Amino acid sequence: MDKLKDRFYFPPDGLTRALQRHREPVPADFTAKVLRKLRQAQEQKVLARVVLQERLALAGCVIFSCIAILATTVFPEITEVIFQSIAKIVTLQGEALADRIPQTIIAFSADWQTYTILVLALGFAAYNIIGLFRHDNLKTA
Amino acid sequence: MARQIQSERSYDWLQSLRSGEECAFAEFINKYKETVFLCCRGLGLTEVEVEDAASETFIAAYKGLQRYSGKAELSTWLWSIAYRQAINYLRKNRRKWQLWTEPDESAVGGLKAKEPGPVSAAQNSEEAYIIWAAVERLPRPWAMAIILHYREEKCIADIAKIMQARKNTVKTYLFRGRNKLKEMLAASFTEIASVNG
Repeated sequence: MDKLKDRFYFPPDGLTRALQRHREPVPADFTAKVLRKLRQAQEQKVLARVVLQERLALAGCVIFSCIAILATTVFPEITEVIFQSIAKIVTLQGEALADRIPQTIIAFSADWQTYTILVLALGFAAYNIIGLFRHDNLKTA
Repeated sequence: MARQIQSERSYDWLQSLRSGEECAFAEFINKYKETVFLCCRGLGLTEVEVEDAASETFIAAYKGLQRYSGKAELSTWLWSIAYRQAINYLRKNRRKWQLWTEPDESAVGGLKAKEPGPVSAAQNSEEAYIIWAAVERLPRPWAMAIILHYREEKCIADIAKIMQARKNTVKTYLFRGRNKLKEMLAASFTEIASVNG
């Protein structure tokens, strides 16, 4: 036993026995209380995540709307071009799919900015939809 | 063979604890709650603080179990969390200075308040009771070192880790604590002997 090698370890029998005989009083319902607190903490964690997600969704909606309004009022031509190009790209996309991959790549590289906006918007929507249907969130709700 | 079975069982238990199983954690609390209360009371927290600090200790342990490497004994690891929580409570309430004062009669009277009912009174001999009462009168760090060394059978290195002190400091605590205990016990036993005639 390592402890016995310790220079300072000398167990006066009475002391060790007496101290080990002592029983520290603990409230009877302590375990239940701690478990309850733990469950509450876990629920709050899940709830906080849902709240954060909702806030992000709300912020996203507000920001996207503001950007759209700003863009249409301040830069109407540019907005028109962007929306036209989105429509064009969707059409092109169909055609490109038909004409197979090389042309799709060309179309993408030509209009990567618009694609990026599209991907971001779609990703954000997907994130929120998945988040809404996730099991733990539903359970908490 | 028995030892192997036991170690496999404790490994399984630890795995269940880490995976967040409630039953395993309830068992963990039941096993160590007395130790955690002892640590918090030993450092002089009030009864309300003791329960709060003990709950926080177990919640911190639950969160930290994933990081528990198993290098130290589980009890040593839990002791160090409990010790830190209790010290934080003292610091928060600006009572850290209290560690170095000798507990007053009301604090030691906690012992009387905790004074056992008939069952535990039968379990504790008078001698054990006197010794425990003397330990409770020591300055907290000395008492803590004595309890960790003699009651919990922790080595100096583990005590140093728990108390966040150097090994030499722990040795000094033990040395001074023992000497003071000897004095106090001699006085108590002499008094009892004179009363008994």
